[in-house]
Formats: sequence, structure tokens, C-alpha cells
Amino acid sequence: MVKLRTLNAQVFLETLCCVVFSGLVAYLVWRGRYLYYVTPRMKPYLYFTAAVMLIWACAGLPRLFAPRNRTRSAHCFSLAVPILLLVLPHSSLNTSDLSYNFARGGILGLSSSQSANGEPLPMPGGPGASMPDDGDIARVLASSEEEFYAEIPSNVYDYFTSMDETGQELDLSLYDEWGFEEDIDSDVSYDLAYDYGDDSDDALSGLDVAAKRITISDDEFYQWLDRLFFDPDPYEGYVIRMTGFVLKDPKLLEPDEFVPARLVMSCCVADLLPFGMICRSEYVGELQADSWVTVEGVIRITEENGYREPQAWVTEVVPADEVEGYIYPF
Amino acid sequence: MPGGRIPVFVVTGFLDSGKTTLLNDLLNRGDWGEISILVAQFESGEVDFHSKNGNCENIVFPKKMLDTQPEEIVRRLAERLADREYDEIWIEWNGVAALSRLYDIVLHRDLRKICEISRIAHVVDAGRLEPLISGSGGALLDQIGNSDFAVVRDSPRIKEDARLEAVRLLRAVNPGIRICGANSYNDIHRSLFRKKRSQLVVFSILTVLMALSYLAAKPLLEANGVPINKVVNVFLGITLQAVPFLLIGVHLSAAIEIFVDKAAIERRFPKTVGAGMAAAVAAGFCLPVCDCASIPIFRSLLRKGVPLPVAITFLMSAPVTNPVVILSTYYAFGGNLRIVAGRVFLGVVSAAVIGLLFALGGGKSSILKGGAFERISCSCGCWEDAAPASFSGRLGLFFRHAQTEFFSAAGYLIVGIFISSLLQSAGGDIFSFTGGGAGLAASMAVMMAAGFVLSLCSSSDAVVARSFASQFPAGAVMAFLVFGPMMDIKNFMMLSYGFTRSFILKLSAAAFLVSFSAVFAFSSIVGW
Repeated sequence: MVKLRTLNAQVFLETLCCVVFSGLVAYLVWRGRYLYYVTPRMKPYLYFTAAVMLIWACAGLPRLFAPRNRTRSAHCFSLAVPILLLVLPHSSLNTSDLSYNFARGGILGLSSSQSANGEPLPMPGGPGASMPDDGDIARVLASSEEEFYAEIPSNVYDYFTSMDETGQELDLSLYDEWGFEEDIDSDVSYDLAYDYGDDSDDALSGLDVAAKRITISDDEFYQWLDRLFFDPDPYEGYVIRMTGFVLKDPKLLEPDEFVPARLVMSCCVADLLPFGMICRSEYVGELQADSWVTVEGVIRITEENGYREPQAWVTEVVPADEVEGYIYPF
Repeated sequence: MPGGRIPVFVVTGFLDSGKTTLLNDLLNRGDWGEISILVAQFESGEVDFHSKNGNCENIVFPKKMLDTQPEEIVRRLAERLADREYDEIWIEWNGVAALSRLYDIVLHRDLRKICEISRIAHVVDAGRLEPLISGSGGALLDQIGNSDFAVVRDSPRIKEDARLEAVRLLRAVNPGIRICGANSYNDIHRSLFRKKRSQLVVFSILTVLMALSYLAAKPLLEANGVPINKVVNVFLGITLQAVPFLLIGVHLSAAIEIFVDKAAIERRFPKTVGAGMAAAVAAGFCLPVCDCASIPIFRSLLRKGVPLPVAITFLMSAPVTNPVVILSTYYAFGGNLRIVAGRVFLGVVSAAVIGLLFALGGGKSSILKGGAFERISCSCGCWEDAAPASFSGRLGLFFRHAQTEFFSAAGYLIVGIFISSLLQSAGGDIFSFTGGGAGLAASMAVMMAAGFVLSLCSSSDAVVARSFASQFPAGAVMAFLVFGPMMDIKNFMMLSYGFTRSFILKLSAAAFLVSFSAVFAFSSIVGW
């Protein structure tokens, strides 16, 4: 006769938690839902996790009926809590969950936030070229059409341009000095990140040189903006078309500026950040924040405190469907 | 006992710990005067059991019979129980036999319908526990770990410290065990007869309650502007990132525990501290682990007798210097070899200095939570089969050890992650710190604080560090890269599962001061 034994509650709970967690992680990866929490780089690690948990569950089976007087269950909550939170309703983060801050194209890549030698570059024509470099040059560029009067809040552009409040420039040149630029040029990071190789011009779609148009597909949002911020000059005057949610924030942007942005995740959901190119339009007030739009505009290169960046002078804004998913630059 | 099985009360404890004395004290009291009791002794010590009221019968089984003829014990017990109706059975268990053998007897088909184990008590002589635990094998740990409560016997000659130490040891082996003084009969009585709740029921109720309170609280919190959705997302994000690496860590740790011979480590490990540290750095370089993984390894290295300064050097340097981290730093900073070299160099230097600090100032006091018990055994509750010879047996033990360590560390890990995600969601956007205007020291402090709060996995923190690079001087970014993997909220919490609070605080302070000084000095020299 087989020995009848009582169920070991501890082993049962441990096994149960492992099986459920394993299944849940595998499901998240299989359905691509893990991308709401971590980047695609984690995929193999998550499969590994699911496999290990399954092995543990199997290894625990023989002890399922091993008698033990004192059993515990509190430690199982270290899996039960993540399981509960994964299963219980919560929405993926969108822009309204994030305090406003955003990364201009290239800030993640560092490349665009500095000019080649750290010196202010001459303005591309126009009256702005002769204006004093007081941080308002970009506005002057457009002064023939529009009036810009608001002062830039002193802290806003510090964030992007690494100027501190005393106007002293932080020493970014270190990165140059130590060969950062050259390495960028050698495409070390690009090969890895986007796999578009040496003749990168051909790799991005949507470029129509004859019509001077760039139609950015949702899949290439990051790559295109990174390209434009890294080397804006060839594309000045091009008509650009892109889709994003409307980001406008008086703390970060001028009243006539908004960003059609997408969310970028570089490590995990904790560092989610809106990312995009500043667009200028006098009708910004009519745009609803966080709504999805497709924007068309003309690329102009502007300059803030010596750092050049492309912006789009908007010609058309139309409502668009929401683009699912985040951008994973690395 | 009509309608149910006879309750079996088991008294465990090492030889001469006072088990028979406890039985004499308890069963001759008025509470037990009216019922008939069978006392089965598996050990005969200096004191004999004697019943004043004549309501207890006793039967003695020598250890030899337990070892060679367990069937005979079952037969005799069954015979006794058939003869007469008992209300309670009390067993004085042998101090050197694993409880699984008692289960084999009580759960034998001839007995399990008649009686069932109700409570297990463990009798401890406070002054003798520590040497016993260090000196004796797994049976004692097995008995302590399976007991519902402990009866701590002390005498006037025992100092209060020894009593506290005994209680600490008992709790290390059996967290949450009830402790009774040998003379507090009310405590003992309550421990014997209080209702025992099923873990399954408790766990299910708590789980459902948690789910319901989450569902109920979510709308309320959201209405009041608490970003609960963000907290949940950030929590899950960091958890999904940390768990795989913790899994790697506990398996490496279990491998060291199960497959590496302590004597081999003592024989082969470099004798001098310097060589040991070099070996630690080399080991860190070879193991593709991040900070989540290095903590369990650190613990098992210490248990295998690796000197503390060397183990600390490993703990502090491995998350910074291993190939995965080096590669991810290389790519994140666009192939900038100086950043990579700076990170590795400063990480190794800081780790070595922190190790040396502990070599110079470190007392001999135990930093492992369980003290003596930790040094001789893992806490995985697998004492009864402590050293299986077969490979498959060891493999099973390997997974079991890894799993147990995972569960104990993961509890602290998720608490740490939860705190981190609360701070990140509540404290505004941590990425909006502006480094401008502040001096290098201040921006370094800000970046190190950010690293501490963010609790990023060291395998991917370089990417985030790079996004700071345009707002902070390179020295501050470097401080983030060096200090973050050494110590952050999640590491701080995770160390709590195996180490004393004072050690963790010392280690954190040392990590902060040393890495700060190292990066600051280096930055000044190279002009960052």
C-alpha cells in the first residue's frame, strides 16, 4: 500500500507561484507585452526566467507530499505580488503619466547637443545671423512672420543645452577630446542599435530627394530624428511628415511650440521619456495636449546657445491614430 | 478519543537539554491530571520520567531499535494504542535523529489512522545552543526548524546575553518561532493548544485581500493625484529586469554551496589579502553578473570561508567590471574607451579600497545574520539530507538551495524596488535634475543619489548614464556609473536577507565615501 501523506502546503505554494510566474512571463514575451515594461534586450533573459521557474516547479514535485510540521508561506509573496500586479488591471504608461520633460532627438545619442567643436555655428542666412547670441536667435529667425516675446524660463534650456544658470558652459568637450565624435562617426553604436550599416542613407525609407520630402514611418521615428539631429544640414528646407502625440508644456516650450512626440524607453519603463522634434505653429493653442497628430512642416535649423538643432515650421496638422508601443533606441 | 485521532505532542531537543524534566513538569500538573497519556521516550537521559498521578504510562525505545527496527516500534505502539484508549500521546524524541524518521513512524499505515502529530516543541539549554549548533549535524537544525515553539531553559549562571543569543539563533533557523521560558507554563500551554492555521488558507485570504484592496484603492488614489499606475509600471519594469539576474546569482551561489568543497577553497585560495583581492577582481571579471546576482554569491563565498575583505572586493567590483557591463557601457557611450576604462579602473580601485577598509577596521564580529548557524549550513531547510552522495541528489539539492535563496532574497528585493518606484513616481521626474550651476562635488552627490534611488541593473545603467551626460559633468556621470552598481536601494534591501544591519550601513557608507573620493580625485587629475 502506498503511503498516504498530507500535502506540504509550503512546497505546494512555492510550486504554484513558480508555475504561474513562469507561465505569465512566457505569455508576456510570447504576446510581446513585456515591451511595456522592459526593452527587447531582456527577451532571452525572460525566457530564461520562465524556464528556471518551470524547472524549480518540477524539482519541487517530489517533495509535494513530504511531511513537514512547520510550513511557511510569507516568502511566496515575493512572487505573488509581482504576479498580482501583472494580472490586475493597470494601463501602460502614456504621456499623461509622465511629468513633462522631453528629449530632443539626439539627446539620448548626445551627438546633436553639441556642435563639432563646441563653438556657435554661423546662422544659416537670415537676419538672425547678426543678432547677439543671447539665446533668442531661434525666435529672430521667424520674426518676419510671427512675434515672439516670451522670455525663456531660465531653467528650461539648461536641461537641454548643458548651460548652467550662470551661463557657464559645462565641459562636454571631454567627450570630444576623448574621441567620442570619431567613434560616433565610425558607426559603432549605430550598427548595433539599428543595423543600418555604413551607407546609412539608403537604409531609412521615406526620403524623396527630388521632392525634398521626408515621410517618417512610425517604425523609423527614432532613427530619422536621430539622423536629422546628428546631421541636419542636408535636410534643411525639406518637408517632413511625422506622427506623435502633442506635447506642449509652458514650462518647457514656448507658446507657439509643440512636440509631436513618442515615448522612448532606454532601459526599462522607469526611464520612459517623450522624444521628438520641436514644431512651430501659431495655432498650437488649438491643439489638444496628448492627442495624436500627423504633422507636416518645413525643416529649419535653429540655434540655441551655440547648439544647432532642426525644427519644423508647421504647414499642416491632422488627427492621427495612436501609434502603439514605445521606441527602444538601444 | 472518539471521532478523531489521538493528538501527538513531540518534545525535541539535544541530549540533556531537559526534555524529560519538561515532561515531568508539565504532565504532573493539574491540567493533565484527568486524562490518560502515553509517553513514548526515544532516549533515556539522566532524569527518569515519573507520573505522580498515575495517569501516564510510559514506554521507552532505545536508539538502536530506532536505527535498526523501526517496524518493531510501530508494532509496539500500535499494540499499546489498541490496548487502551489514550487522550494524548507525548513523544520525547531522540536528540540526534531527524524528524523525518518520526514521521515515518507516525505516518505508518498502522498508526496514521489512530494518531497524528499535533505540536512539536523544542527544548533548549540557552547556554549550550551555540556550541551545539556549530558542532552537531543537521538533525538538531531539522528539529529546531520543524518545531512550533521553543522552550528556553536558563539558569542563574547564564547571562542574559546568552539567552538573547540563543533566541537569535533559534529565530535564524526558524523565523517566527514562538519562544517560551521553561517556567512560564501559561505560555507553553497556549503554544500547545492554540489554533494552528493552515498556510494555504492564510495565503489565499491574504492574496485575495491584496487584490481587492488594490482594486478598491486604485481609483481613490488616482482621484487624489497619486500616480499609482506609474508606480505599478515602474515596479514591474524594474522587477522584470532584476529577477533574471537574481536567478543567475542564486544558481551560481548554489553551485558554490553544493559543488565546491570548503576545504578546497581554504587550500587553494591565495593566502595574502592582496593576492586574494586580485583573485576577487579576476573572478568578478569572469562572471557575467550584475549587482542582483553578486549578493548571493558574496554570501556563499563568505560561508565557504573566503576572507571578508576579499569577498567585499568581489561584491563591489563584480557588478562594474564584468564583460556584460563593460560591453553595455562601451555601446552606450558610443565606443568611448576612456569612459569604459575609467569606469572599470575606478570600480576596481574603489572596491579594493573598501575591502582594505574592512581588513583594517573590521572586527571579528559576525556579519551574517544567523551567526554560527550560517557558517555551517545553508538556510534552505534541507538539513535532513545535507550531503547526498549521488550527482542527481546533489542536483536536486542545488535547485532547492537556489530556490530557497531566491525566495528569501526576492522578498527584500521587491520591497526595495517598491520603495524605489514610489520615490521615482512621487519625487517628480528624477531625470529632470539639472546639474548646472553646481560644482563637481554637488553634481556628483546628486548623480550618486540618483543612482541609489533608481536601482538600475548594472547591466544596463550605462544607457541611462549617457542620457545624463549632456546635463552633468563627466565626473558626476562617472560617479553614477561607479557607485550605482555598488549600492542602491535594491541592493541595500537585498543585503538585509543575510547580513546584519550594522554591516550593511557600514558597507554603504564605505561605498559612498570611497567611490566619491576616488571619482573626485580622478576627475580632478584628468580635468573632468
